[in-house]
Amino acid sequence: MLKYLFAKNEDIPPGTTAIFFGFSSIIWFVIGTGIGSFNAAKLAFPDFVTGYEYFAFGKMRQVHVLAVILGWISMAFAMAMTYITPALGNTRLWSEKLGVWNVLIWNVGLSLALTLLWMGISSGREYSDIIWPIDLAIIFGVLFPLGANVWMTIVTRRTQGIYTTNWFFGTGIFMVIIVFLVGNSPEFFNLTGLSEAYMTWWFAHNVLGLWITPVAAAIAYYTVPKVTGNPLYSHRIGHLHFWSVVIFYSTPAAHHLMSAPLPEWLKSFASVEGVLILVPAIAFVSNLLLTMTGKWHMFVENVEIKFTITGVLLAIPLNMQGGFQQTRAINWYIHGTGWIVAHAHLALLGFSTFLEGAAVYYGIQTLLRRKLYSLTLANFHFWFLLIGFCTYWISMTIAGLIQGAGKIYEVPYIDVVIAEHPYMIARWVGGTMVFTGNVVWLYNMWMTARVGTEIPVGRLPHELAYER
Amino acid sequence: MAFREYKIGARMFGAALGGSMMITLYFPTSDIVLVGSTEWGLQKALSYGRIGGFSYEDPLMRGEGKPVTVTLDKDPATNQPIDPIHAYVYPPGVPFPSAINHPRTAGKVVAELSTTKGRINEADHQKGAVFVVAHAEAGGEVTAYIENASVTRNWNPQQVLDAAGDENSAYVGSGKIMFVREGCWWCHTLLPEQTQDWQVFGVPPRLGDFNSESPTAFGSDRKAPDLLHVGSRNSSKEWMMMHFFNPRLVQPHSIMPRFDYLWGKNDANGKPIDFDQWRAEYTKYAAGERVYPPEVPDYAPKSDIRYLMDFVLSLK
Amino acid sequence: MGWRFDAPLVSLTDDAQNKAAKELWARESLGGIKEDNNRLPRPVIWLLALTILTAFLITAPLWGQRPQAAIYQEYVALMDDPQVQSIADPNGKVEYIVNAVKSKGSKYEALQERHPVEWDDLMLIKDQVIELERKGVDLEEYTIIGPWVTLANFEGEKKPDGSTIRKQPHWDKGYTIDVFYVIYFCVAVVIAVKRLPEFSWVPTHAGH
Repeated sequence: MLKYLFAKNEDIPPGTTAIFFGFSSIIWFVIGTGIGSFNAAKLAFPDFVTGYEYFAFGKMRQVHVLAVILGWISMAFAMAMTYITPALGNTRLWSEKLGVWNVLIWNVGLSLALTLLWMGISSGREYSDIIWPIDLAIIFGVLFPLGANVWMTIVTRRTQGIYTTNWFFGTGIFMVIIVFLVGNSPEFFNLTGLSEAYMTWWFAHNVLGLWITPVAAAIAYYTVPKVTGNPLYSHRIGHLHFWSVVIFYSTPAAHHLMSAPLPEWLKSFASVEGVLILVPAIAFVSNLLLTMTGKWHMFVENVEIKFTITGVLLAIPLNMQGGFQQTRAINWYIHGTGWIVAHAHLALLGFSTFLEGAAVYYGIQTLLRRKLYSLTLANFHFWFLLIGFCTYWISMTIAGLIQGAGKIYEVPYIDVVIAEHPYMIARWVGGTMVFTGNVVWLYNMWMTARVGTEIPVGRLPHELAYER
Repeated sequence: MAFREYKIGARMFGAALGGSMMITLYFPTSDIVLVGSTEWGLQKALSYGRIGGFSYEDPLMRGEGKPVTVTLDKDPATNQPIDPIHAYVYPPGVPFPSAINHPRTAGKVVAELSTTKGRINEADHQKGAVFVVAHAEAGGEVTAYIENASVTRNWNPQQVLDAAGDENSAYVGSGKIMFVREGCWWCHTLLPEQTQDWQVFGVPPRLGDFNSESPTAFGSDRKAPDLLHVGSRNSSKEWMMMHFFNPRLVQPHSIMPRFDYLWGKNDANGKPIDFDQWRAEYTKYAAGERVYPPEVPDYAPKSDIRYLMDFVLSLK
Repeated sequence: MGWRFDAPLVSLTDDAQNKAAKELWARESLGGIKEDNNRLPRPVIWLLALTILTAFLITAPLWGQRPQAAIYQEYVALMDDPQVQSIADPNGKVEYIVNAVKSKGSKYEALQERHPVEWDDLMLIKDQVIELERKGVDLEEYTIIGPWVTLANFEGEKKPDGSTIRKQPHWDKGYTIDVFYVIYFCVAVVIAVKRLPEFSWVPTHAGH
């Protein structure tokens, strides 16, 4: 990598940025889920690794969350953007050199940010816990260079139209910059009180709604048509999806604070909008599943489609939960319980991880011109992710319902803790399965890069048979 | 970008996102800033100081640059007995909360009383100041406002700290930093919910209870009891000490981590604390080989645990 | 690959395809939402309509309310009734009151059933409820927390006198903005879809 940092842009092979982003994202995924599994063990067995300040749950929880969001998910997005955008524009990435620097600064900066968080140096605001000097560094040193590359690649494309995926990529990176700038304003300007609390959740909501959800969906808009060979079912449903994300997904931030003393009108507004996030969800899921027409055998046979369609299918429970759990009629029961934790993992580990996983699998094979090393290991990865995730999701949902009942019937809190214990163990088992699957994945991708069968010129990776 | 349609699309996108931000940011915040601070809101603002997380006065989050909350039963300037009162002491250089720097954040009526009657605009953080919460009638209702006791009562910070003594001083602001730094709020929420859990966790807060507080650290994932009113449920220092040192001493089923490391190296008498020995003895006790658990050491007067306990006990 | 502003964009679509797409585009109504070129499938439109309807219906505060002081107002009024005084057993007293209120018919019948009380509870809140009645406040804005009758912390809209309504709303300006917003969205999407550039192909794999 170092040799490319000071090379001329023309001398850097196309795809270099994406490959580095791809491998960085897998490594961060291993780190993030490893910490997650460790944290889960501490919730199940509180005296597991005790007496060290830096292995306390309160110091590690946010490291898990942000390693996964900014390391795994966002870097996998960057990987997808830096190879899909040029591919759809029939061109090269605008600047590979900027891209290589972007990878370096991102990795170094994220390590620094997470180290500080691990020391407890935080703004005390969930999801935007990174302190404001580093927020600024993320905006201008990480997100903006990525945005510049994506936007300029779209501008210098050599095709006529802009494909759906690229609408989402171009606006997703723009919106996440806005969200970081505005969402962190309480730290920049010391805003206080309920404004601060509301802005915290405005940030948290929109980082999911305007970055993770649409960009993950955009990846599916690419992988499914590309790998199956079917054209996207409908350009118009794509439009419906795009505009409903911008209009409906950007508004329900207040539904995270349904039990705080926010103005009631804001809650009314937000929870109607919250149900309307089903509009983009319906558009996205129907468009992708209809694109699969006639190619459903690939759901079983092909790794990338298996991952993508699993992600698309998980969007159904995700949005059904997300749409309804925030209404006044339901939120009072499950607010602040493990149900929400389960839902958050459904969004990030279920829905979006499977879509990004497909992009990284497909991208690394395409860019390195090497066929996947082992189908068996990929299937192992898939099933460990899926079963591990389901174990986690189901156990935390049950734990959440127990907590909800405990809350409503005013059971002494310690009884809730005791009742939750088996589910905490199940959560740890599920998380550990995910971690194990990811270690195998890293090995599989490494071996793909080293010894995968070379793909002949003019062929695509999914056209070759799996060998192992 | 040759297509006219893309220009239209880009403008529509701008209008859509702008409209959304107008409704979700401008409308609600312009409602929220109109709300006047309650008495509790003022107390919290004055006791927490400028900021409860990372800040330039406290970049390593050690609890520096925060005010001290003291309880007084006699006037430090005149030595006359007075009704017990909380005073918020800002030694020279400690930055003021936004309720002092920008009085309007406390609401219009409170801001006016605080400047005209309370004279907070005469406070200077370079010289330090002492504030108290006072009451006055405005518009037929009794309203709490901030009084700059350095001017109105001629109290200076050092004098007040000396008069109160260590036992009547609470490092509530520094404790909030500990609360954020140690991640207490990942499990303990600070928000009893509107609908159901009032009887156990107490009255849910009002909009005006938070003016000038940042971060509010409500927490979202309640794995442990809500703490907003913990000080009125349990104000036993001994129980808290044991619970922080090793929660399993007082609650065998607790899943809270041990916070023994907050005691630092030395105990109240300056003697080094032998954590390894303590843990070994506790392990024996937990295994049933000892009848009594080892004694929890007293904490030093300026230790992280002191700050944290002062904060938790201030949550009434 | 440098940055070229003047580079002509190259189309992968040929003239015949463009012509066919243009004709299709010119013919369609309602921005193609009703038309072919892979119109929005009818089930999708139904689902969208259902979603919008549900969004408004389910958002009202249906469950999860803390008992309001108002639902016990009728109980408290009956507590000094000679009939009740004559019953010695506290459970009997409550039973009598509940039956009396039920037979008269109450606005709060469902809430009363959901939040049953005992005689001791009623004794605790009795004086506070009577005091509040005397003040003439809206008892629906007060909730029962253990032994206290407290003003709820809901931040509703402002009353004419400037004070805040302390109830969860069934309609307020939030819903009004929502109505406007949904219309805005539908109009915007129809226009956006109608303004699609006339390059396209007609996918055939779905059989139409």
